[in-house]
Amino acid sequence: MRRRIILGLAGAAVVPTLLVLLPLMHFAPNRLLTGTAIDAPSILGAMLWPLGALAAIGPGLLAGSRGRLAAAIAALACLGAFALLLAGLGHGAAAWTAGQPPAARARLAAGAWIGASLLAAAVPLGARRVDPAAGGPIGALALAASVQGLWLAGRLDALSVVVEFRARRDELAAALLDHLALALGALALAALVTGALALWRRGRGLVDLTVSGLQVVPAVALLGGLVTAASALLSAAPALRTYGLSALGTVPALVGIAAYLLLPLWRGLQGALRAPDAASLDAARALGLTPRQILTGLRLPLGASVLLGGVRVAAVQALGLATLGALVGAGGLGTLVFDGMAQFAPDLILLGALPVIALSLAAERALSGLEAAARRHWPS
Amino acid sequence: MRRLAPAVGPLLLGLALAAACHPAVAGLLGDGGANRPLSLTRLSDLALNHLTLAASGFAFVACLGLGLGLVVTRSRFAALRGGIDTLAAFAQAVPPVVVVALALPILGFGGPPTLLALAAYGIMPALRGTVGALESVSPEAREAARAVGLTPGQVLRQVELPLAASGLIETLRTAFVLAVAVTAVGALAGASTLGTPIVAGLQNQNVVAMFQGTAAAAALAFLGDALLLAAGGLARREAA
Repeated sequence: MRRRIILGLAGAAVVPTLLVLLPLMHFAPNRLLTGTAIDAPSILGAMLWPLGALAAIGPGLLAGSRGRLAAAIAALACLGAFALLLAGLGHGAAAWTAGQPPAARARLAAGAWIGASLLAAAVPLGARRVDPAAGGPIGALALAASVQGLWLAGRLDALSVVVEFRARRDELAAALLDHLALALGALALAALVTGALALWRRGRGLVDLTVSGLQVVPAVALLGGLVTAASALLSAAPALRTYGLSALGTVPALVGIAAYLLLPLWRGLQGALRAPDAASLDAARALGLTPRQILTGLRLPLGASVLLGGVRVAAVQALGLATLGALVGAGGLGTLVFDGMAQFAPDLILLGALPVIALSLAAERALSGLEAAARRHWPS
Repeated sequence: MRRLAPAVGPLLLGLALAAACHPAVAGLLGDGGANRPLSLTRLSDLALNHLTLAASGFAFVACLGLGLGLVVTRSRFAALRGGIDTLAAFAQAVPPVVVVALALPILGFGGPPTLLALAAYGIMPALRGTVGALESVSPEAREAARAVGLTPGQVLRQVELPLAASGLIETLRTAFVLAVAVTAVGALAGASTLGTPIVAGLQNQNVVAMFQGTAAAAALAFLGDALLLAAGGLARREAA
């Protein structure tokens, strides 16, 4: 019992302490400067105390108690604290930028990012304790709905990321589409190659060695090497240009990203094919099943969760690696990130980075849900 | 001697790659134009810097990953497991380039954002590997150790760690290779690592320097791998 209380008090202290100790916002005269740090009381004003109370109750209950009712209250408190924090930040930003020249920016600082992420992470955690299956998605939906509501009400408009977003909306949409196309294309290419390699029975050891050896080559170097190889190929056989092949752009990026995805997909496929034990295979053969029937009726269903685990790792890696595609001119969200790094403009970096993180997390959650469903459906 | 046999392959490969990035050898790839090999002193400076960064990141990740892995597999702290797993999965979903880019305005150029990326990206594989290795110890062995009257600390030191040793070495190998590869990405944030000639080579078409950077980074990864394999072989002999 005493340990519970200590844990609960520690959990309750985390977010309020962070909000007080770290700066919540930087106020800068333009988008390239860092500006001066502003502390919590001067941003949140009257919202400080209700926010502090909710941010203490939620995580405190989550850490200190095991019950379902407490978890439900904790999730709701965290959700409230999250929405209140965002609203307070938006309100504070509007107050600080009011009457300033249009170039002035109110930028979220470390305290706001860490506090908001912790509160956001706590919501699905509490919701999952109430209902293990549906809790996670419901919590995520509630978070998304609260952000959407504040957004539509225009409460976030003064934040620097939102200002940057409004200025580059079309560019961001195009980059997002490019990014998805690049990642999905590479995933499809890697899946095709893995399937083809799996048919080559005798070369299994060699494929294993090559595919894991590829991981040792840094991604930046592999992309560079592919560009050089493609340009050498094109100068040797200029006729290839008529087929739309070029040294820079989508092709080297697709090939480079796909090369890294081979390892998780290959491991997943090999694991899936080995999933049924020798006794089940013998039984299937004794029943007179053909190898094809054994593959579709036994190996693939039993190995589905292992295979999906490989696909999950590959998909998350593809979405992350597609960021590097911008280095070789393939577009994608990396363009915004690298432009931001070159200009030293934090908001532009964020504008490119936030969607990458959101996409990776969404892919990770969705595919691990599918993996768990496959494991339930075909228990091995 | 037989225990050290698995380390021979990576060792030879690492030495061959190290020889290949010597300016006299790499220069054979092509000369003239933009192709200028890096001098040996510059290359060894970069390699030393790369190794320092990668090794500090690796040490941090190894301590934290092994430590957290040990904690969450103790029955007393089983409740923390879900939270730590979620946190580690989140850290893994953020690609190193993005960590480096996000840390840039806060931590400035150079080493610190690279170290942050190393830590963020390496924790989950290290943690998952440690947990997997410790869970592969059969419950019977643990029960037997407890039955003969060993304290939990003794069970950990005399039963669990020796039995999980090969899995733990595997985990450390993955973490090291990952650290060497991620450090190369740090060049994008201005850290001077073996990624620097690669990024610069991409911009001014210097294929030879790009090759030297790549081969040297791969050599470091293989040599470290060989070292860890050898250490694993020696550890197993002690346990046996």
